[in-house]
Amino acid sequence: MPSASATAGAGRDPLAGRLPVTILTGFLGSGKTTLLARLLRHPGMNRAAVIINEFGAVGIDHELVAASSEQMTLLANGCLCCTVRTDLQDTLRELFIKRRSGEVIDFDRVFVETTGLADPVPVLHTLQTDSMLSAQYRLNGVVTLVDAVNGLESLDRMPEAAKQAAVADRLVITKTDIAAPVAVESLAQRLAAMNPYALISYAVDGAIEPELLANIAPASATAAAPELNRWLSSQASTEQSDAGAYLGKRITGAHDAAISSFCLWFDRPFTWETLNAALQALTALRGPDLLRVKGIVNVEGETGPVVLQGAQHVFHPPVTMAGWTSGERRSRIVFIVRNIPRASIEALFTAVAGLG
Amino acid sequence: MAPTLPGIGSRSEATLALNMRLLAQHELQGFGGLGEGMAMQLASDGRRILWLAHESAPKNFTGVDVTDPRNLKVVVQTELPHANVRSNSLDVVGNTMAVAYQTSSVNLKPAGFDLFDISAPETPRLISHFDASGPHSRGVHAVWFVDGEFVHMAGGAADFQPRNPLDDQCYRIIDVRNPSKPVEAGRWWYPGTREGDSAPPPPRMRAPFDAGYRAHNTNVYPERPDRAYVGYIDGGAVILDIADKAHPKLVSNWRHSPPFNGFTHTVLPLFQRGLLVVADECIRDKGADWPKLVWVVDGREETNPVPISTLPMPSYDAFAQRGGRYGAHNLHENLPLPCSWKSEQIVLGTFFNAGVRAYDIANPYQPQEIAYFVPGAPPMSPAGAIQLNDVYVDERRIVYTVDRFGGGLYVLEMTV
Repeated sequence: MPSASATAGAGRDPLAGRLPVTILTGFLGSGKTTLLARLLRHPGMNRAAVIINEFGAVGIDHELVAASSEQMTLLANGCLCCTVRTDLQDTLRELFIKRRSGEVIDFDRVFVETTGLADPVPVLHTLQTDSMLSAQYRLNGVVTLVDAVNGLESLDRMPEAAKQAAVADRLVITKTDIAAPVAVESLAQRLAAMNPYALISYAVDGAIEPELLANIAPASATAAAPELNRWLSSQASTEQSDAGAYLGKRITGAHDAAISSFCLWFDRPFTWETLNAALQALTALRGPDLLRVKGIVNVEGETGPVVLQGAQHVFHPPVTMAGWTSGERRSRIVFIVRNIPRASIEALFTAVAGLG
Repeated sequence: MAPTLPGIGSRSEATLALNMRLLAQHELQGFGGLGEGMAMQLASDGRRILWLAHESAPKNFTGVDVTDPRNLKVVVQTELPHANVRSNSLDVVGNTMAVAYQTSSVNLKPAGFDLFDISAPETPRLISHFDASGPHSRGVHAVWFVDGEFVHMAGGAADFQPRNPLDDQCYRIIDVRNPSKPVEAGRWWYPGTREGDSAPPPPRMRAPFDAGYRAHNTNVYPERPDRAYVGYIDGGAVILDIADKAHPKLVSNWRHSPPFNGFTHTVLPLFQRGLLVVADECIRDKGADWPKLVWVVDGREETNPVPISTLPMPSYDAFAQRGGRYGAHNLHENLPLPCSWKSEQIVLGTFFNAGVRAYDIANPYQPQEIAYFVPGAPPMSPAGAIQLNDVYVDERRIVYTVDRFGGGLYVLEMTV
């Protein structure tokens, strides 16, 4: 697995050159449209491009529109809103090409709304497997909306909803104003159990600060340890390496038993060979069940921590940060998986390390 | 091409940016039309002075204090003696600056270069003038001065009679080790271009692209002091053996025009990588000489340069009609000087109305555009669009770029 080189004086920052893409997902009725409609009008959204499913749904008033074509609308606040063309891949490509030729604003970030039933993982794959897109864009994170009124039921009944919550970097609980406080609280607990590595926030009537959705993933290879830790989640950074029992206590519902998440710590540095071998074995055997993998990894010979992320069988090219900015040099990898016992993954890494 | 979105199309007044951020702009006291001379001096008092050659009269050169790149201060701006001369090019070594002078027609003066002592940046002091005027000479178009000893330049000479008046500026090496008495050390011209040459005249480019067989940028680096890398306009890219400065010898000549439209401007060697980056210059408005490209050339075997890619340009449809010229021009040339950024992975160039652009050539077969900045049209620009002419990157990775007409100096931070 080749590593993109970190910023040297004469080189290139492997992260900073790419436009961050934030995936907005959430089950039907979770309030995505309401949130988008508010977000699009927010003054902080100037220079943002938002890819939505349809204009009609977000109700863009005529007076908000600065310019418009069939697929694209420039809002008065500078936000570029466009509908998905044939597919997301084409839309992202076209947006970049138009940006480059000055046909659209020089947006500096992109939000992508998925459909309510969508599995966000293929969207992540789009960014990783299309070489033009992966050269120009980077994944900032997945933001999943869950509504406080029906969220619990959706999580129970719809595997898609559970998956959306499981792969999130940020969870936003919506409709808290019309849900019973106890329902909000039990939903929050449930989500924390499923995905303890995602920050949970709350939105009433779609009100959310764009800042909350920005800078989820590090924007530069020079990012310092706190920023990296925030991306991996403070949970993973403070958790002890024997946190299995801790996690166990949080699991409350039988329905989520299929999806579990945990963070593995590794005291000794990896070599590229051992890291590759372990991840390859894991993806080959259980790719579809690796919903999300995020790690900050110490690889022998690298100048700084290696940022690792993947979903199912596809991993982003690992990025080596410019240097170590904290004393903590142990590797930690967060796994969000379906029906894979933690012990099996631990055993795999142990076995590979033993052979490596 | 997809139709342009009404109202948000490629308007020349819009600024376009990717991974570059504007720190400051300075219109240089209303004389913001700049040529292709940019050099940085670290003054003895610690200030960083960026020296800029003007594109045309009345101004000669301007020194700008860029110590704080967000707070630019003009320290000096000088005048040319008359309107039929332009400075266009300059270079700085230590506290010595060489400034080129090219006249609008032959037999005018000053045509040559000046050496200035700029120890006190506010008051440049003339050390000497090297005269390159003559009955067939328009003087000096471009200078390369990085070692304090020799000025390499594209210039005419009193005794140089070209067969075609467009071929008046050959490659000349001037010894300035005694700066008060510069003397010619040697010269080279494209075989067949001088009256009396035994070689036949080289074939002309077809009209309207015949711009001449003459030198433009004449780069020599300490890594290969015995080589000159010369853009020879319609003669293409030329590598010369200058081990014996009195008798430069041709090593190789890569000439890609025709079928392309000539005007090879810069040959930038990347020694660690065995690559040459060769830039052509766009000299016509509205895409009339499109495509003017930057080429990545495999230079491992210097006698056989092989082009392997070009830097990807933004769409012709979007830029050709944006106003003025659209195409390649100057590159940041990794000057072997303390205040110059040096990279063999990232190449920066100016492309007139397509602004300044940065490319990652880690994979030389597939260069990637990684950053750009296209300023909105400067007020009252005769081109109606920005015309970025030259670029210089200092060792802090601050990018300086200049407009050919009114926009002056733009200082940018590259965030990639």
